[in-house]
Formats: sequence, C-alpha cells, structure tokens
Amino acid sequence: MHHNQIKQLARRAFLQRAGQLGLAGVAAPWALNLASMGEAAAFSATDYKALVCVFLYGGNDYGNTLIPYDNTNYGYYNTLRTGLQIPQASLTATALSPTTTLPNGMQLALAPTLAPLLPIFNAGKLAVQLNVGPLIQPTTLAQYNAKSVPLPPKLFSHNDQQSVWQSSQAEGATSGWGGRIADMALSNNGNATFSAISVTGNAVYLAGQSAAAYQVSSSGPVAINGIKTNVYGSAACGAALNSLITQTRSQTLENEYNKVTARSIAAEQLAAGAFSGTSPFSFTSTNPLSAQLHAVARLIRANASLNVKRQVFMVSLGGFDMHDFLATQHPPLLGQLGQALQEFYDATVSMGLDRQVTSFTASDFGRTLASNGDGSDHGWGSHHLVLGGAVNGKNFYGTAPQISVTSSDQVGQGRLLPSTGVDQFAATLASWFGVTGSELATVVPNINNSSVKNMGFV
Amino acid sequence: MNTATLAETHELAATTVHASALLAISTSLVACGGGGGGGTAAPPATAPVASIAPNEAARFLLQAQFSASDAEISQVQAMGFAVWLSVQVNAPASTNGWDWQIAQGYNSSTAVNSVVPADHMMWQQLIISSDAVRKRMALALSEIFVVSSTGVPIPSRSLAVAQYWDTLVSNALGNFRTLLGDITLNPAMGVYLNTKGNQKADPVAGRVPDENYSREVMQLFTLGLYELNLDGSLKLTGSNPMETYGQNDVTQLARVFTGWDYDPTGSVAVTNPLSVKSPMRLTASLHETGASTFLGTTIAANTPGAAALTQALDALFNHANVAPFISKQLIQRLVTSNPSAAYVGRVAAVFSNNGSGVRGDLKAVLTAILLDAEARDTTLLNSPTWGKQREPMLRLVQWARTFSSSSSNGQWLVGDLSDPATRLGQSPLRAGSVFNFFRPGYVPPNTVLATQSLTAPEFQLTNESSVAGYLNFMLSTIKNGFNAANGGLAAPAYSAELALVNDPTALLARLNLLLCAGQLSSATVSSITTAIASISTSTATGQINRVCAAVLLVMAAPEYLIQK
Repeated sequence: MHHNQIKQLARRAFLQRAGQLGLAGVAAPWALNLASMGEAAAFSATDYKALVCVFLYGGNDYGNTLIPYDNTNYGYYNTLRTGLQIPQASLTATALSPTTTLPNGMQLALAPTLAPLLPIFNAGKLAVQLNVGPLIQPTTLAQYNAKSVPLPPKLFSHNDQQSVWQSSQAEGATSGWGGRIADMALSNNGNATFSAISVTGNAVYLAGQSAAAYQVSSSGPVAINGIKTNVYGSAACGAALNSLITQTRSQTLENEYNKVTARSIAAEQLAAGAFSGTSPFSFTSTNPLSAQLHAVARLIRANASLNVKRQVFMVSLGGFDMHDFLATQHPPLLGQLGQALQEFYDATVSMGLDRQVTSFTASDFGRTLASNGDGSDHGWGSHHLVLGGAVNGKNFYGTAPQISVTSSDQVGQGRLLPSTGVDQFAATLASWFGVTGSELATVVPNINNSSVKNMGFV
Repeated sequence: MNTATLAETHELAATTVHASALLAISTSLVACGGGGGGGTAAPPATAPVASIAPNEAARFLLQAQFSASDAEISQVQAMGFAVWLSVQVNAPASTNGWDWQIAQGYNSSTAVNSVVPADHMMWQQLIISSDAVRKRMALALSEIFVVSSTGVPIPSRSLAVAQYWDTLVSNALGNFRTLLGDITLNPAMGVYLNTKGNQKADPVAGRVPDENYSREVMQLFTLGLYELNLDGSLKLTGSNPMETYGQNDVTQLARVFTGWDYDPTGSVAVTNPLSVKSPMRLTASLHETGASTFLGTTIAANTPGAAALTQALDALFNHANVAPFISKQLIQRLVTSNPSAAYVGRVAAVFSNNGSGVRGDLKAVLTAILLDAEARDTTLLNSPTWGKQREPMLRLVQWARTFSSSSSNGQWLVGDLSDPATRLGQSPLRAGSVFNFFRPGYVPPNTVLATQSLTAPEFQLTNESSVAGYLNFMLSTIKNGFNAANGGLAAPAYSAELALVNDPTALLARLNLLLCAGQLSSATVSSITTAIASISTSTATGQINRVCAAVLLVMAAPEYLIQK
C-alpha cells in the first residue's frame, strides 16, 4: 500500500466516523479530528444499554441513609448522633437481609423513607456499594495523616468534590467519566447528540473529549417558538432570528453560545417525538427527581427512533447539604429518591429493558457521623445504590465501615476514608456498559492503581 | 470645580486610575452638591471633557449599572467617566428592601412562610431604583456572598432575605471588612450557613461545632482555595499550587462561630420580626472557650465571643489572598470573564490600599474596575475572547429599565424566573447553592474556550433548554410584559421607538446604542433592519410588532448576548 492509498483510507475512515458522529458535528466540529476519534473505540454493540447517574447534590448523609440495626452498632450510632437518631424500632421494616451477611453481626437498614426500594433489593436488583469515594490509590489512615500518598484535591469542598466524583479533577475540569464512556459509544450511535443527556443542569460528568452533553427539560426538549412559528406574525423575522442565533461567529463566546442554540434547534426536531402523546409510565409529577427520570424513561423508550445503542444520562436531586434540620428534612428527601428510583425501575421493567438500564447514585461526599447538634458536616466516603435488572443485587459490596469516630477507616468525626475508589465504582459500571479493560484507564485514570477493577455488582 | 480638574479626570479615566485622586474628586463633588440626584443628576455646569463617543458612553454605563438611557449617555459624554461615576457612587441609597416589603404588607400571616415577596422586591429594587450603580455592585456581591432565598426556611423568610439584600446594598460602596462582619452576623446568612444556633462542642453528647460557615467564609468569601499573587495568578511551590487552608483550619475556625443566635429584642412575630433583621447576638455560655488556632492565628482561650469574632475576621480580611480573590470576581461580574493578570493586579492593589492607606474600600475598587484602561480599551471590542455573557437576569432588568416597563400597581408581582425551560433560568438571590449560579472558574466543556483554558462562568447556565427558554420568555414579555394584568411587568409603550417605526435604520441604531453600546455587527444590523422592514406599519398593531420584533432580534443576537 503506498502513501496515497493510506491517506485515502484515512480520509474515508474520517468521513465515515464523522458521519457516525452525526450531530456532534454540529456541536463540535473542531473535535472531529482523527486523534479524538482514535479514542472513540467502537463497542460494535447490537443491543441497547443506558447508564443513569442520579447525583445527590450537597453531600448525602450516609449515617442516616444506611443505619446500623443490630443492637451493638445501633448503640454506637445512638451515642454519636445526638439529635439525629432514627429510632431503632422504626428500622425493622427496612432492615436488609443480604445474601452474604456483613462481618461481626453488623446489620444495616435502609432509611425508613427508602422503603420503596426494599422489594427491589430483595428481588436481587438493587446492590449497595459501601464506603466509596474519590481516591488516587488505595489509602490507609496512616498514609492519609502522613500525606505519604497522593490524595484527591480539595477534599470536603462541595464544588470540588462534585467535580472530583464526576471527573477525577477539581473545579475547572472539562471532561467527566460519563462523557468519556459516551466518547466510546459515539460510533455506535446514529445520532451522537443523544449519547450523553442531562435532565438537570450543566455538569462535567457528561462531558467527554468528543461527546457533548445534551440537555432536555423534564418535559422534553424546548422548541424555540419564534422559529417554530414566527416572530409576531412575521416569517421574515423568524428567518432572521434563526439565522442570527445559529450563525458561526468569529468572536469565541458568541460562537459558543450560538453553537448551543444550533444544537438545541437541531436536536429538538429529533427528540420532540419521544415526548409526544400520552406517557405509558407512572411517575409522580410533584417529585422533581421522578419528573427527570420520567423524561429519561421516555427517551429510552424512543432509543430506536433516536438511533442510539448506548446512552449515558444524568439526573439530580438537591438539598442534601444538611448542616441543620437533618432530622426533619433528610427523611422526606430520601423519600423522593426512593420513590423516583422505584418508579424508574418499574418503567424499565414495563419496557422490557430493565436488564439494559443500570442506575446508580453519586454525591459530593459523605458526611460526618458525629452530630453538630442539628446536622452533620462535610465528609468523604459514602454508601451508594446501584439498581437495574443486570445488577447482582441483594448484596453489599466493598467494606462496611465501623460505626465510630476513632476507627482507622475514618479520618475524624466519622468522615469515612473510602475503602473503594470512585474509579473502581465507575470502572465496574463502564465494564458493564461495554468498555474493555484496556480502555478503562481512559475513562477513569486512576484505575490501574487498584488491583480490583470490577466490584462485581453488575 | 474647574475645567482643568475635569480634563485631568478624563486623562485618569484613560489610564490606570489613582485612587487618591478619585477620592479628591468625590470629595469635591460632595462639597459642591453634585451627589444629590442619583441616576438623574444634572451634569455640572462646566465645559465638556474630551469627546466620548455615544457608544463608549453606553458601553461604560452597561458595565457600571443595568442600562443606558439617552440622558445618561449625554451625561457621561459631558462629565467624563470618572466624574459621572463619582456622582453615582456618592449618591444616597434609595428605598431599601425591608421597608418596601413592609409597605407592601408582607409582614402578615399570609406571607410569613413565603419567599416569593423577596422575588418581587428584588425586581423592584433592580428595575426602578435611582441608585443603579450601587444596586449593580450589590447584585455582583450577592453572587459572591451568596444567600439563596431557597435556603432560608424560617418564619418571615422574605423579610430576612430583604435584610440580607439591604446589608449588601448598604455596604456595596463601603468597606469590605464591615461588609464581612455584617454578613457574618446577618440572620439570613446565619440560617443559610448555620452560624445561627451553632454551639460549642459537647464531648459528652458527641456534638461538635458546625463547620459550614467556617469553611465557606474562607473558600468563597475571602481566601479561595489556593495562595494567590496580587495579580490573581497562583503561587507555586515547584509546579504545585499551595492550599490556603486545611481541614484543621476549618475545624478550628468553626469554634469561633459558636454561641450566636437571633437577637429577639423588640421583635414581634410576623408584624415586626426584628429577630431576622438585627445582627445575631452572642450567648456566652454556648461559645467555645478554648483556644482556636487557624491560618497561623491563635485566638487565646477565654477570649470573649465578640472579640474572638473580630480577631478571626480581621485575620481573614488581612490575608493576602482577599484582594486578588475578590477583585477578580468583581471584574468578572462587571466587565470580562478573563481579565488580564495586570488588570486584576491593578484593581487588587487598590483593594489593598485605596491611596489613603485604607484596605478594602469597595468604592475605590469599583471605580478602579470601571475606569481601568482594560475596561475602557475599545480595541478589545475586536478581541475574539474578551467580554462576558450577559446574565439572563441582567438582560430582563436592562430591557425593563430601557423601555420603562413598570408595575401598574407598584406590587412588582414578577416572582421567581428560575425555570430554564420557560423563564430566564436565573432569578436574583435564587442561586442553587452558596456556590452561586455559576462558578468563577467554570470552563465550558467541548468548546474552544476549554482548549484555550478560558473561563466563561455564565455559560454554566447555558444549555439547549435555557437558550430556548430565554428566547420564548422574551418573545412573550417584550410584547405583552409579564403578568402585566396583575402588576407584574407592564408591556412598554415604546414611545421613543414607535416614533422611529417608519425609519427602520434609525430604530435599529437606537436599539443598538441603548442595548448593545453599538456592538452589533453591520451584518446583523442589516439583517434585522431588512427583516423588520417587511412588517407593515399601516396599522397600530403592525407598528408595535415591528418595534417588538426589532427588540427581540437585538436581544437574541450573539453580539448582544456577549457584552464586550
């Protein structure tokens, strides 16, 4: 093969891949270079899969999400959480009976308001990942105290730990692991725009090297009325509007703004159908997380018409930063989470897609086990939920932390030192999604620092 | 004041301003009574300064406040940037938010658990206040010292939020140290970041002090995460940034913020809830008595609570990071997302010393920001990356002020405009968290800005839903107002624009000047002019449609959305 042939083949591959990238071309033509596409390894998937991140903004309080139920540990809990305790008797209904019991007689119960998730756990479709959080490498308390190993940047800070959870970098990061997984799926999707979809605000989690997050509202994509119909009766002004808000600009900020608008218009025409007609699903409209997951369910249902095989979604629930009012405000917030997750799981079952959709929770950080009187403060590791038909549920994964503010699995006041890294958690999900072992480090850069690259929960 | 002084003033405006000189100008203006009229002050009867083009005057006004009128453009042209600004910053504050809410009857049992009156109040405050420069600065401060009305779940919450806003307004052109002290003991902030009711440790009960305010006052209100040079660049050891504080500093400083709670003196629930207005007061028995050591400062054991607070806030205020950390964010809010290091350094130097040895003089800081050579440099209009996105809430305020949209009954029932799909995606004092609507370091992923490591904070609100929601909201509001029948924003009369309706070129020139400081490209002007000219003006409906279409197209144009 001589030189010209190679160039020609490369050019053909480029055009082919560019075609596969579809609407991403509208969004990010500069990203369509061979280097970035080289990273976008094809899954060559024929089936459909979706990964749904449920981000709990503010830092969920792990201590009152999974509560010790056995007498010994409940006693420790009761002592440490002045003013925050959930009565032991009210945990009976949600005490978990995993297939493999925890060591030393520890029993954990879901918060009472998470009761809607109990049947899903018992059916083996919900798993609990214990004490997971950002790590560069496995870290002991002695190493943490001596700072003898690299640590994640800006621990305990909201905005930075949101970013670290989502991207492995502090604020200012420009790609996250959801987006990097989506990068690898781009070539599988006829419409690249719908590879990474947010039904909540902008978040780095869904940004890839090539994949850009696409936003819909809970009620679907928002059409621009002045273009759909006209501007005060004037078609000419509608056309001028369309041109003004989508044209290429030489000023960079202007151009970036217009690119978002152009993508909004192009994608709305394709995605609107997913939201037309009566929804076959049952979601509680007054629950903001349910409303977002309802939109996700409708988009998943339309995967064939949207021409996608692999999708990464993000939804969120805020209000978890409970320095105060934890005893009164945390239970109803978890109630919203439990209700929304149960409704979403039921929706995937009703579509026959429950084995192809995996959802998981994430949050800024866990909180202190110690009480500040009315709430808890910023921590590090936390417990998270994974659910879906493919999940190896009714089990705990990772290592259960002691109920203590002095043990070696916490760094003070019950701030958990993670025993499982976010990279291991993410790598497990990515592997299920189709990312191969050699590609994992592209998705989660610290994974090769851990010997365990798959936690096994899905 | 003589002509020579004014000429000097204008020279100052064109270069880096020297704060002591400005102070002298301010003083002389006060002495000659020039500070009386607020936004409608008549220019002093002196000869005009070296020529300022209308576009330059409008550009300055749109950075310094919310809008530009013909009269204000003329004033700036006549007075020069510095003198006009000194009049504004020395003008008295107009009606405050607390008094407005009381006058509206929101000290009632029906409103006691509603936060919506605070939304109405904010639109009133931003749209019709005469002291627009002060209010603009206060709004910028509200995006650094964030209290979100969504996070104050207490009785009389709207009044608590009003008092917080009034605290920002009254300190906006005062001293940073006073501002820091006032917001620390403000009841709404006390609730939002949990200083209210925070107690000393109880080893028996296992209770420890709440760390929220301790952490955020360092991370967000004074220091930031990393040690900074005066020009805002990172100090490095080797190639690594240096953290300003650690978890131990947070835990130690938290001890200082214990023992504070409402001061109920004279407070009457619902009707006169002074407990959400008066600064929080100390209960000595709940205050930590042990020594606290943070940032290299030790507050001795048994220091009384008020003295401990003073020492702690003094230590924060005097940290070298405060000047660049706060100065850069104020520049980002008012002028450009990516100021040069030199620009940050010049403003931070004024923060450190206003020329009279005073640190933290916010009037001098604002003046330095607006009169800086970089802010006034018209060649930067051609830079591909200079400027910032206009925040959605500022676009609506600008529209309402420019076209005199008001509330028919004075109630300003505009409410919460936060929904990105159907409203603005932003509403004053309704940030999602203490981290504001957007982060000063936000880099939009998958953009050329990201490849150039440039920040664009406002783009954190920009997505496929919000860009469409904004256009739909404005399409309706420009023509009909918003909730007009009930005393929200009325549909404007557009008298001055209707007078030009049969001269589309002149109409566009007017809108380009007032809304965009003439920054629309000739191609955009041409495109809009042609499009609106196709609307027949043979009927009154056609005439108003032409004007509204022109306003909408200008406010949709990328040159409008990015303020340079």
